[in-house]
Amino acid sequence: MIEPQNIGDEELVALCQQGQKDYFEILIRRYMEKAFHIAFNFTRDTETAKDLSQDAFLRAFANIKHFDGRSSFYTWFYRIVVNLCLDHARRRGRVSWQSLDDMGDEPGVQQQLADVTFAPDQEAMAGEAKRKADATLEAMPKKQRTAFLLRNHQGLPIADVARVMKTTEGTVRVYLHRAVAALRQSLVEFV
Amino acid sequence: MTNRMQGLESACKEYEEDLVLHYYGENSEDDRRRIAQHLSACERCRVFVDDLRRVLPQMAKAEEMPQSFWDSYYRETVAKLAEQEERKYWWRSWLTPVRGWMVPAFGTLAGTVLVVGLLFGKGNLGSFVERPSRNIPQEITADSNQLEFFSTMDLLESLDKLEQQDGTQSELQKTHSSRVTLYKGIA
Repeated sequence: MIEPQNIGDEELVALCQQGQKDYFEILIRRYMEKAFHIAFNFTRDTETAKDLSQDAFLRAFANIKHFDGRSSFYTWFYRIVVNLCLDHARRRGRVSWQSLDDMGDEPGVQQQLADVTFAPDQEAMAGEAKRKADATLEAMPKKQRTAFLLRNHQGLPIADVARVMKTTEGTVRVYLHRAVAALRQSLVEFV
Repeated sequence: MTNRMQGLESACKEYEEDLVLHYYGENSEDDRRRIAQHLSACERCRVFVDDLRRVLPQMAKAEEMPQSFWDSYYRETVAKLAEQEERKYWWRSWLTPVRGWMVPAFGTLAGTVLVVGLLFGKGNLGSFVERPSRNIPQEITADSNQLEFFSTMDLLESLDKLEQQDGTQSELQKTHSSRVTLYKGIA
């Protein structure tokens, strides 16, 4: 007998569509970390990221019957998460890119930050540079930022990024290059 | 003061986009060979790629949350899902009390009420059927008289009939008056 954890996404989705909605909980377990991290990359706030990513699961569940399987579940789901994050940013007028230093107020996070140790040559993104990079990301056009976050932070192949963003791979390559170029420009003063 | 941060070096313009894709491993086989060849000859581009390798993974570093966070996250999400389902099928809550055993219970109760009503209402049933005319208010009686009056008006169905009737009467009056004149003349 196949363990529920070993069932593929498409099969789980099909089971949910047939009314066996308990299987959706396996999808939650499978994608909760990724969903949270995408939302966190966009919002830089733990609570907001949690709310947005949970909301994405609720929406995915509510619309699971409309999922037609033309794309993979995770592409479809990533799109929901990203759209929610962009909507949230639009509502707020701007994305709040809280710096790592500011997050130190939260005890749990503070401990985690204390546990992170960089080798001297890996401290490149520490402190001011990290804030600068985050500010640059914030100022980027949303499509560039989305393409960069999905490829760089989430590790999605460009083909999948294109599917999530409903654009061509060529366009994603351009977004990615522009995003990296913008980051290079912003970090040049730290040389 | 020595800054610990080292920025990204610029690369050859015509290679920059390809170098970004090269870093992400998204180049075609041909491009990969071409880039490798260029990198072996171009120090600037080598530094650029090295900087990407150093900086970009640091940016992507995810916050590691404790297991308790994920447990709570999962529980909350499942609870929110249940709540969402509850809201979606809110009307079910109205039907929930009507369970199988409650149908005969309601039936028995309704039957009992009917029997009690018949027993205590026996002999007085006629009062519900025959209503005494004296109980009818005067206003209604007056209205019924008016209705009788209006029923006689059925004769006057149209203006044509009225005019016709009016015309016949005037002719009769003329005939009558001429006869009177004739009789007077004879007399």
